[in-house]
Amino acid sequence: MNQKNSLAGIRHRLGQYGDNMHDRWLNTPGWQRWILYVALIIGALLLPSESIGGFMSPYTDWASILFFPIGTYVVLAIGLNVVVGQAGLLDLGFVAFYAVGGYAMALIGTKLGWNFWLILVVGIGICALSGITLGGPTLRLRGDYLAIVTLGFGEIIRITARNTDAIGGPNGIRGIPHPPSIDELNIFGVDVYELLGVKIFKYGVLDPRPYYYLLVALAVIVIILVKRWEKSRVGRAWAAIREDEDAAEVMGVPTFRFKMLAFAIGASIGGAMGVLWASKVISLNPNDFQFLLSATILAAVVMGGAGNLPGVMLGAFVVAWLPERFRGLQEYRMLIFGAVLVALMIFRPEGLLPSRQRKAELKEGTGGMGTLGAEVPGPESRGEEVASK
Amino acid sequence: MLLEIKDIHVHYGKIAALKGISVEVNEGEIVTLIGANGAGKTTTLKTISGLRGLSSGTITFDGQDISKLPGHKRVMAGLGQAPEGRGVFPGMTVYDNLLMGAYTRSGDFSADLAEVFELFPRLAERRTQMGGTMSGGEQQMLAIGRALMAKPKVLLLDEPSMGLAPLMVQQIFSIIEEINRRGTTVLLVEQNAQQALKLAHRAYVLETGKVVKSAPAADLLDDPDVQAAYLGGGLGHDVPPERDGAESRDVPGEQV
Repeated sequence: MNQKNSLAGIRHRLGQYGDNMHDRWLNTPGWQRWILYVALIIGALLLPSESIGGFMSPYTDWASILFFPIGTYVVLAIGLNVVVGQAGLLDLGFVAFYAVGGYAMALIGTKLGWNFWLILVVGIGICALSGITLGGPTLRLRGDYLAIVTLGFGEIIRITARNTDAIGGPNGIRGIPHPPSIDELNIFGVDVYELLGVKIFKYGVLDPRPYYYLLVALAVIVIILVKRWEKSRVGRAWAAIREDEDAAEVMGVPTFRFKMLAFAIGASIGGAMGVLWASKVISLNPNDFQFLLSATILAAVVMGGAGNLPGVMLGAFVVAWLPERFRGLQEYRMLIFGAVLVALMIFRPEGLLPSRQRKAELKEGTGGMGTLGAEVPGPESRGEEVASK
Repeated sequence: MLLEIKDIHVHYGKIAALKGISVEVNEGEIVTLIGANGAGKTTTLKTISGLRGLSSGTITFDGQDISKLPGHKRVMAGLGQAPEGRGVFPGMTVYDNLLMGAYTRSGDFSADLAEVFELFPRLAERRTQMGGTMSGGEQQMLAIGRALMAKPKVLLLDEPSMGLAPLMVQQIFSIIEEINRRGTTVLLVEQNAQQALKLAHRAYVLETGKVVKSAPAADLLDDPDVQAAYLGGGLGHDVPPERDGAESRDVPGEQV
């Protein structure tokens, strides 16, 4: 009993601290926020430096793990957050879209020899389409049923890739081209590469940093877009669907269309990351797209605070970084990773940085977690109707 | 006739929930559907608002067949609903909830907001409070106010008295009457038959997916069968009434 009280006390204090910080942030004038945004972007660009790397990653090359897994997880988590955090649709097969993007880059790059930038655009289109293809028949389901179908979809993509010889079967695809490099960059006679000490636009095999900068650029664009959607009519519709889908429909929200849109946008972001990742790794194979990756990204979203972008990014960072940081402990690192996850769920059950709206939904208890609330369709809900047809 | 439901059948899987229900709602009326648990009241309302599909039958609204129209388009046509269990968005403030009600509309809602706040002064006091943290009665007010924000021709209300204190029920019902006086047609589903019959102009009694009686509400208040079944003072309707043998005359629905 006593222990429970002290636990609740810690939880409460943590929550209050978070609330205060949140209030302060909401009262910050716009120009100060912009300064912080710019500082964050510059900070992200300076991250792959040796001095930070020594502490952050004593066992592996810091710049390499910044691209994968850390950066990759962050972008994937932002994409999955649109589906899970904003629209409240539990997607357990998000890795499928990442795989589609990766294979799009690999196939078009090796077979047709297209330029990376062109493939990026086409890949995003293909992924949006595959999101709609998956969503069309499955978004009539709700809750756990949707989760199971998406889980199946993730596996179908991987197993199909493994058994299709035309796309390399289990061996995957080799010789994926890199993005086009700029070998020399002179502005007004100043050699920019020498000035910075990094050949920022030279995409080779050895230096991971140019890819990381590209990833930061992609992340910034994605964040701006997602933030704009969140604040628009679309975002309000998603929030309504997440909180009470039937009520949203009788408010005049075309729920099905908006759920499809969330799927398509999430898929596009996952796909864009897939294209970028594939352009770095030279070869990929179906085992790069295991279910575990979907689960990890979902863990990052939920742990960080579903629906809140900074929280989700922080969650992804922690989930990606911790196992790398403790690589020296070998097998035990997963034990520590697990312990951290458990501690988080005890002290911050709503996530590291939850959104206020989400917290209110959680307190309400019903439907608040969206379909994450493991809603079991009764005779009144449509999931049952579809399942029985 | 503003809203006409003709012989609708609805199935949950293989189980028939509605077995040929016909209801008519004229402009300016308050019509109520009463009945026990599982009679099909809520299903009827959900079918009208488009949350459930029809197996057969038609729904005509304002001269237009809306049987196949998706739910969100019916809102634009002029059907507003306060759903079962209120359906307030818990993570949105009262103000945001009300704005969600006007989702299909564009332009200036300040006049409509003012009207809702006038009908429900409590909502004006609580406009920055999260929907999920309000009491049941306040949530019901919010659900009705939110439905009004769509400027509906017909307001569909699903058990507005559910889980509320008697005083609050009185208050909600008098507001429903006021809304009707201002020109909105109301279709009310209620288990609280006494209250509903006092308020409504006409009423339908539902039983296991069928309409067993339809009459002016005042007549039903005096009807011995209805009194026995829904207003207390007798056993359930399942027990065959032997009092006056008037059963067959009073129950035209059962011959269908």
